[in-house]
Amino acid sequence: MTIPLNLFQASIILLSLYFIIDRLKKYFSKERSQSLFKLTATIGIWFGVLVFGAIPSLARKVSLFLGLGENLNTLIFLGFIIVFMILFKFVGIFENIEKNITEIVRKEALKGLFENTTINKQKTKK
Amino acid sequence: MREQTSFINIYIVIPAYNEEKVLGDVIRQIRKEGYKNIIVIDDGSEDKTFSLAKAENVCVLRHIINCGEGAAIKTGIEAAKILGAKYIITFDADDQHDPKEIRFITRKLKEGFDVVLGSRMINKNKIPFSRKIAIKLGNFFTWFLFGVWVSDSQSGFRGYSEKAFSKINIKNSHYEYSSEIIREIGKYKLKYCEIPINIRYTYYSMHKKHGQSFINGIKTLARLAVLSD
Repeated sequence: MTIPLNLFQASIILLSLYFIIDRLKKYFSKERSQSLFKLTATIGIWFGVLVFGAIPSLARKVSLFLGLGENLNTLIFLGFIIVFMILFKFVGIFENIEKNITEIVRKEALKGLFENTTINKQKTKK
Repeated sequence: MREQTSFINIYIVIPAYNEEKVLGDVIRQIRKEGYKNIIVIDDGSEDKTFSLAKAENVCVLRHIINCGEGAAIKTGIEAAKILGAKYIITFDADDQHDPKEIRFITRKLKEGFDVVLGSRMINKNKIPFSRKIAIKLGNFFTWFLFGVWVSDSQSGFRGYSEKAFSKINIKNSHYEYSSEIIREIGKYKLKYCEIPINIRYTYYSMHKKHGQSFINGIKTLARLAVLSD
């Protein structure tokens, strides 16, 4: 079975393969900050891009199965969902980082006060 | 004399960011009313806020970077707890509040209220129209999200009993902390009341770069809606 490809589709497939192989290399060479989740997510996303790039008509079958409209609409809709999920994830991450930084800044601000109060209490006891 | 001894466990917490122009005067006004336990939190100011507060011989803590008013209030409350506070009053650094009204808040706290909220909307204050709309919107969204209705959900002039400040946990660092306090009141079923306060809208306080604005209000609402527990 031959799948006719144009230049654009070929580029998409090559790009997807590059990202998948790159992530697999990083994971198996046990580089820092690599995780099974990142590996699975990368493969999932780029394999999806590869498949739809190679067989665009598959998008229509998926959209019919899901009850949605045209091929492109399906992909765009799915893309939006993924982007929003990632955005919300980032917002949560940034908020956590901000809270941690604030906590460190607070501890630093209170350090002198706590030490002075402890010393004063010890002096009173003596 | 009795009045002075009754001020011993009352701590005034003043979060300040770039308030070198008015902070010294605010501290002196508060001290004139008899309150000696003043804690200023310099929230990463870029001007002489820290040194001016130090010169007034009050407890001054400094955030090495700007973290937001909510974060500064929380630091101030933590400091007051370390120093043995029984009552904590939060007070704005921009000279909008009248220190003479602190006694009305402490009176209510001593009557047994856990949280006393100063409200700009009870008296006939001359509040700019845009600010009035912002307060009313803030009240509506605070009620919508947390189920507690107050006439001024955004006021910084508030008093807390020991029970309140040991339970309340401010998680948000910016202006949304004001509404967060209202949420905590509902969550822990704290006994609260509102008292009328006067507000002084000076040219300085209305034109601060870092003050509340329409855009900041939108950001505050977004943070509350998306990130509130």
